[in-house]
Amino acid sequence: MNVQPILRPACRPRDAAGARAAAWVLLPMLLCAARPAYAEWFYDAHAGGLYDDNLTRAQQAADVRGDGAATLAASAGWFHAPSGTDGITLSLDVNSEAYARFHGLNLISVGGSAGYRHKFGLGRDVPWASITVSAAHDDFRGDIRTGDRLEASLEVGKRLSENFDASVGIATDRRFASNDQPVVPGISGKPFDLRGHSVFARAAYGLTERLQVGARVSVRRGDVVSTTRQNLDIFLASDAIAADPTFGSDFYAYRLRGTTTEAHATLSWALSDRSSLNLSYGVARTAAYDDLNYLSRLGTILLAFRY
Amino acid sequence: MRTLLALALSALTGHAALAQHEIAAAVVDDKGKPVADAVVVAVPADGGLRLPTRRDAVIDQVDKEFTPKVNAILVGTPVIFPNHDNVRHHVYSFSPAKRFELPLYAGVPAQPVVFDTPGVVVLGCNIHDWMVGYIYVSESPYFAKTRADGKAVIADLPPRNYVVRVWHPQLEGGEAATKRSVDVTGKRRVDVEWTLKLKPELRVRRSPVGEHSGHY
Repeated sequence: MNVQPILRPACRPRDAAGARAAAWVLLPMLLCAARPAYAEWFYDAHAGGLYDDNLTRAQQAADVRGDGAATLAASAGWFHAPSGTDGITLSLDVNSEAYARFHGLNLISVGGSAGYRHKFGLGRDVPWASITVSAAHDDFRGDIRTGDRLEASLEVGKRLSENFDASVGIATDRRFASNDQPVVPGISGKPFDLRGHSVFARAAYGLTERLQVGARVSVRRGDVVSTTRQNLDIFLASDAIAADPTFGSDFYAYRLRGTTTEAHATLSWALSDRSSLNLSYGVARTAAYDDLNYLSRLGTILLAFRY
Repeated sequence: MRTLLALALSALTGHAALAQHEIAAAVVDDKGKPVADAVVVAVPADGGLRLPTRRDAVIDQVDKEFTPKVNAILVGTPVIFPNHDNVRHHVYSFSPAKRFELPLYAGVPAQPVVFDTPGVVVLGCNIHDWMVGYIYVSESPYFAKTRADGKAVIADLPPRNYVVRVWHPQLEGGEAATKRSVDVTGKRRVDVEWTLKLKPELRVRRSPVGEHSGHY
């Protein structure tokens, strides 16, 4: 799969680029869907909740805001195996989040993804490689976060035993904010216009016939957004600023360069071959510049279904 | 007429005499729970085997699973692998008893696969990694597979002494440890019980894993 048409516009900070890139992802999906011979359709749904203890990504305790949300997501996907070692997956995805306190974070997201996976041989334990490209439009209730999102990843992995598999990969992400709301002349008002690159590793281990534990670690270098009250140090380090009324009339979202190190653990209980109950806990530490470091923790509970 | 009737009765009686010996097996795990899909095999202790005519066996693929999951066949049996899913499968085995590959296909393959070496053959699909199936290729025509209640009957046994053993995909230790000597001579039915220690079934997981990606 040629990813160039998707990655190239991702480097241009223009809204239209996001829409074009999304079309590059969605177009082959529609074309492939028109060829149903031996295609495998699947439908996924996730329902649950999350709690993030630092939604503002703030350092100072006075600026830290945590909240919980109900989440609901659904996907309709298409899988085709052009050969015994290759697989193409396309999906249309809808995701929603509804927060208890900070309604500006309420989200409806519509997008699609395309993936190609190759196994280097025959058998469960041969190495594999995959490339995945996804695009989505995120419509937040708070306008400054609304925009288009693009992500691409390259991953290689191997099953080390019947119940243990592991993979490593690289990814790039890009968000195109739809609304420019400058508060300082000469400084961009699109703090959520973001780009970043990351490396990640993940592993899953089956403890029993039904219980699986998974772990994912990643390091991302790129733009991050910290929302705080007016802060001179952050102001001087940031290159985009906008008012962020989601957290209060005196809060501002600052875009900074930073490195985020993240670790997630997931415990997944298979209820059947088509459903599971999942608990996860993640910690992300971001170092934005010399004086700004913040920590956020995310806990989720999800019921997952696949038909 | 009477002579014919007498001959017919004699034939029936003789057949009944041959068919009246059977081994009734009951297999449970170490918690006393019945074990389904255990293969019970009886091999004449004197080694004398008369193999019956081979018939084709069928291992289906339905809803992206091998059906049945465990099969017992006689050595030399041709097996057909029809695919009743609306997606293609790529069936393979690396087992020493039979290495083969049916490249990506739909429908019914043109040629069956002949299993000509006794042993256990583990089946997989290169598209759907969670698919796993087992074929127990028996050197003896006297075998049976336990039902959900853990019971199986090996019928139509000639009166002899047999070495009887049990195999299961999750059996801990080899099947040689399950060997029993069973003499059915002069007995219509012999009951034999096994208690097996089974390993957990840690196959590739099929059910979805739910993950939520955080924001940065």
